[in-house]
Amino acid sequence: MKTLKIGENTFELADSIINDLKASENLGLLKCIQCGMCTSVCPAASHTDYDPRVIVKRVLDEDDSLISDDIIWNCFYCYSCHSVCPVNNSVCEINQILRQKSIEKVDGIRKIASFLAYGDSFLELGIGSIPNDFFNELIKDIGEEYFELKIHLDDIREELGLGTIILPENDLNDIKKILKKTGFTDRLTKIRRVKKDEEDTR
Amino acid sequence: MNNNHFSRYAPKSSIDIGVFLCRCGGNISDTVDIERLKSSIDAKVVKDFENLCSLKCQKNIRDIILEEDLDRAVIAACSPITHEKTFRNHVAPLNPYLLEMANLREQCSWVHSDSDKATDKAISLTNAAVERVKYARPLDTIVRKTKKSAAVIGGGISGITAALSLAKQGVKVDLIEKKPSVGGNMIKIGKVFSPEKLAEECALCLFNPLINEAVQHDNINIITNAEVKSSERKAGNFNLLVEKKPRQVWVDRCTACGNCAEVCPIDVPNEWNENLMMRKAIYKPFPQSVPDTYTIDEEHCIKCGNCEKVCNMNAINFSMKTEVIPLNVGSVVIATGHKGFDLKKRPEYGYTRYDDVISQMELARIMGVNGPTNGKLQRPSNGEIPRRLVMIQCAGSRDEKPEGKRYCSKVCCMVALKHANFIKHYYPETEIIICYTDMRTPGMYENYFRYGQSNKIKLIRGRPGDVTRKNGNLIVRVEDTLRGEQLEIETDMIILSEAMEASDGTLEVAKLLNVGLTEDLFVKEKHSKIKPVNTDIEGIFVCGTAQGPKDITDSVSQANAAASKVSELMNGGLEIEPLIAEIDHSECKLCGACIDSCKYKAVYMYDERISVDPIACNGCGICVAKCKNNAIEIMGQTDSQIYAMISGMLKDKKDGERRILVFLDYIGYVAADNIGVNRIPYPESVRIIRITSINRLMPKHIIHAFENGADGIFLGEYPDNVVYSNIQEKVHEFKTQLIKNGIDPDRLMYYKVYAPYFRGLAKKFYEFDKQVSKSLDKLEAVLYKASSKDI
Amino acid sequence: MKKIPDKEILLFKSCLVSVEYPGIESSTKYVFDKLGIEYIVDDRQSCCTGLGYYYDLFDQFSTTALAARNFAIARETNHKNIATMCATCYAILKKSSNILNKNDNVRKKINEIFEDSKLEELKYKVDDVDSRNNIFHTVEILFNKAKEIEDYPKIDLSQFKVASHHACHYCKVHYKDTIGNLRDPMIIETLAKSCGVETVDWYDYKRTTCGAGFRQRFTNLDLSLSVTTDKLVSLKENNVDILIHMCPNCQMQFDRYQPKIEEMLDTKFNIVHLNISQFIALAMGADPYKVIGVQTHTVPVDPILEKIKLNQTICYERLSQI
Repeated sequence: MKTLKIGENTFELADSIINDLKASENLGLLKCIQCGMCTSVCPAASHTDYDPRVIVKRVLDEDDSLISDDIIWNCFYCYSCHSVCPVNNSVCEINQILRQKSIEKVDGIRKIASFLAYGDSFLELGIGSIPNDFFNELIKDIGEEYFELKIHLDDIREELGLGTIILPENDLNDIKKILKKTGFTDRLTKIRRVKKDEEDTR
Repeated sequence: MNNNHFSRYAPKSSIDIGVFLCRCGGNISDTVDIERLKSSIDAKVVKDFENLCSLKCQKNIRDIILEEDLDRAVIAACSPITHEKTFRNHVAPLNPYLLEMANLREQCSWVHSDSDKATDKAISLTNAAVERVKYARPLDTIVRKTKKSAAVIGGGISGITAALSLAKQGVKVDLIEKKPSVGGNMIKIGKVFSPEKLAEECALCLFNPLINEAVQHDNINIITNAEVKSSERKAGNFNLLVEKKPRQVWVDRCTACGNCAEVCPIDVPNEWNENLMMRKAIYKPFPQSVPDTYTIDEEHCIKCGNCEKVCNMNAINFSMKTEVIPLNVGSVVIATGHKGFDLKKRPEYGYTRYDDVISQMELARIMGVNGPTNGKLQRPSNGEIPRRLVMIQCAGSRDEKPEGKRYCSKVCCMVALKHANFIKHYYPETEIIICYTDMRTPGMYENYFRYGQSNKIKLIRGRPGDVTRKNGNLIVRVEDTLRGEQLEIETDMIILSEAMEASDGTLEVAKLLNVGLTEDLFVKEKHSKIKPVNTDIEGIFVCGTAQGPKDITDSVSQANAAASKVSELMNGGLEIEPLIAEIDHSECKLCGACIDSCKYKAVYMYDERISVDPIACNGCGICVAKCKNNAIEIMGQTDSQIYAMISGMLKDKKDGERRILVFLDYIGYVAADNIGVNRIPYPESVRIIRITSINRLMPKHIIHAFENGADGIFLGEYPDNVVYSNIQEKVHEFKTQLIKNGIDPDRLMYYKVYAPYFRGLAKKFYEFDKQVSKSLDKLEAVLYKASSKDI
Repeated sequence: MKKIPDKEILLFKSCLVSVEYPGIESSTKYVFDKLGIEYIVDDRQSCCTGLGYYYDLFDQFSTTALAARNFAIARETNHKNIATMCATCYAILKKSSNILNKNDNVRKKINEIFEDSKLEELKYKVDDVDSRNNIFHTVEILFNKAKEIEDYPKIDLSQFKVASHHACHYCKVHYKDTIGNLRDPMIIETLAKSCGVETVDWYDYKRTTCGAGFRQRFTNLDLSLSVTTDKLVSLKENNVDILIHMCPNCQMQFDRYQPKIEEMLDTKFNIVHLNISQFIALAMGADPYKVIGVQTHTVPVDPILEKIKLNQTICYERLSQI
């Protein structure tokens, strides 16, 4: 039997979530009544073992193992729970914050390593794109036409009277400067290192 | 400071004052040197007594007042909280308000041990009382004349109950009902639950006798089909204008035979049956309607005249006009009730999309023997008995999302159990599942909950996300939170337990009467614990679901409570202390700033004149500060009295002596007395002045005090009252003024006082005394530096 | 309801519109021009970071800093009303403006970064952009013109039955700003009705996400597609011809993957996916290839075009007479 020791339930995890920049103002985390409405509208819950209500319960129970639990990566970020919660809690935001906590460690970084190219493209063009890690998969699932479309994109855009998608040089430099100072560039470097290590071991 | 501030009610050239000192059997005289005190007071008569409060002394005081022909009296003894009332009787034939007390016991001899310093302080306390009493005016107790009549708005169970109680206490009651019949929600619900008998009782059988009693009572005038259109307050009474819509049917002729409805060609949804069936444009809402008469629904009637032709009684008259009825009443009771939450705001539950998704009230009508199915449980879509029925709790309640209600509607768990038990009794084959968030069945209702469980009602803990339709069945999607499992529940019928919300009538009436609402839009009670049926306007009371979600039992209790509060006003011959705001009409420019500022809603405009409701006003003085034309005074706390008190307290201040003026409200004063009772010492510099509220003080008073030698000013008030927000503003204003006048703002402080926390107050006195002393040292250092520079 | 502008609008470019369905942008411009809505598009505007943000790659602070930069462009061009074609841009920008307005610390830090980078002109002042009153979805700008759209001469589309997919990041994230009931917004239906089509106002799973789930589509395709399937099956039961979208990511999920799902289930859905601007442009008689951009769609739009060809010719004639 588990003993709930005095001083053990400190709400530290809940507090760190509530005070995170990603959390909505007045996030109702502490007010959760475990009614399960979040779960009843959750697409991940209807197709996997994921249960948003249980996520909140574990956060309130100070269950730190949640951060390294794969279950948090099942959320769709569709905000359905967020939009119906009767106490203005948001499991969607909680998951976002938990995943950020997870990314502080190598295991978490591995989860997002394949999305690295989005960041690279952003720095290069000022516009994100579908990470090329997945591109072959996409063509396989969608069809060759999709590849054709990508090749002819500029022509099609011209036909539609639309200009280039790439930002002017000066502005790209500004964005690079900004993202360097916000720490984003370093963040990418860190992810790249983990990704490389993983590829090397493979 | 010049004397201009004293100009109003300035003392006569010679006012003869008698000062009566009490030794209090040594309680005072052991510490205070009574002889020195006596010799330091400037008054026509100064006498000391062993026990002033004794009956013997009462006669002595009276004799002296008569013999010496005194104009005013000062009693320097114990706290006014203890004996002010007693001494006011002692000074007769003087007007009781020509007496001033100095608190030499609780706030001097019991808290100081140094006899010299205590005596100095006793002298200044007595002096202050002498100064102040010079400006006292004879005042008469206000006797509030309230008309022995009341208007009860709303004819549901609460309104009828309140009206009956009042009528039986001899109060004339006008009962105003918006609908063509009284009865409200209770008459619609068919059954009421009884936790005692574990049974469902007939609502109509309980309520109808009360309605009949009300109809027959001579003191009750029921006005149906009518709404209050305007309201005016006048000297504690209310002038209401009630608009009565025409019925187009003579009530006294109509025998309710129903021939008219048979020939009426117009079908209208029957709102009394939750629109589950139709009625005609000429109709009687329900068989037991009161008054027992038909009504023409003007909105839908096409005036074909069929009804007129068949009416044997010639009761129909299309030329009736709207009637305006003026009422003048002493009190108003708001009993305007609630309405069910609009379930269309929860589209995911399929209300209106699927015929078999209905509200609890609709189920009540279906189960009612006088309802659309004559009491038979049927699916609205096909008339079949449902094989299963799922109830969804908290439909609209306990929901902070836009359109939701944050509160628990309090009765829905019991309503769901009532219907479930009732259905289980008559249709044992029908399965019932209640999807709940928490089952809330407090007190005796827990028995009823257990009863439901033993009737095999299935309970699933979870709040459903949506409702859909699959293979001809309705589906409820919910997480069974106790199993952690997502469920799709197949069912034939879904009952949504709709939240209770304030009725439109409640909102309209509250606006019209200027009565405050809670954040959840119910009528706000004056204090949720100790004044649950008072509103923020004196003379207007509230009961039933207009004040918040509640069941019939609570509504009835509250209705009776409201009636007895009305009756208090009318039968008690209420005497009110005259220490309230008085308007100087010659100075008043009718700007209305006082009306806006009054937190007690005591000030109102009537007939182009500002008036003060003496019961509502508590003399806090917010309005005085807001009045630009100097047209308001608080009786007993006029500017001149406050200035006199301040000057008196600071009189004969010695070199190097520190004097701190402490202004305390009633609670603060009681706390200060408690310090004395518990013999806890505090600095002798402290001089306490009682006021109704810090709001009465203005910067000019504060500056006056500092200019006359005050070293510090301490303000104390109980924070949990309606004027607290103004106090914060006030303190800020004072500090700003001090800075402008080159006075260290540290020499003024505000402290929240609580009656039981007197030790904290005593400690604060010490701290503040030190803080003031530090500030003064600083000042001295600066002055010294400045003067040494000069040299 | 909030006040919706029809001028001083910065039409906010979206990455997925640009590279997947550029026809959404050209259609939006086409419809805006027809309705006399005054707007600009600015080259310098960067992507909102939304996809990266929800891939958990972008941190809130970087996202907010880039939003501040884009807000500066809106301010500098005097087009302070931002209209997004993508629901994620909408939600991301709103969140960032709330942080910039309310979090003094973050605002200060971001402004310091701008200063250090000699980009003083980008510095953000409290309330430069108001989340509620300056940030909109293009569907709201159009909703405000529903009457004008209704009155505009259009091709007869009454033979089609349409349903809506109101994007989650429009209606569920900043739900207090959602027009209509957040649990069932009817904006798309209202606009579709003003184009004269029959709408399926409610279908099972109407409120459910498209299934993209950001990373889920890439790392968990089966899970992602089972959600999309739930919706498609329900839409088919309701005999829907066109599903109208307001977000390129949702549109991509349905349009790109519908054939695969059809293959998996061995069924045909016969549902065409159009953005609301594409749909209105179609009704207004825009060229399918030069404006609506149907050539970038995976599920062919041709069956729809063929069915209206006859009407179209008549209509074109009528339109040319005006």
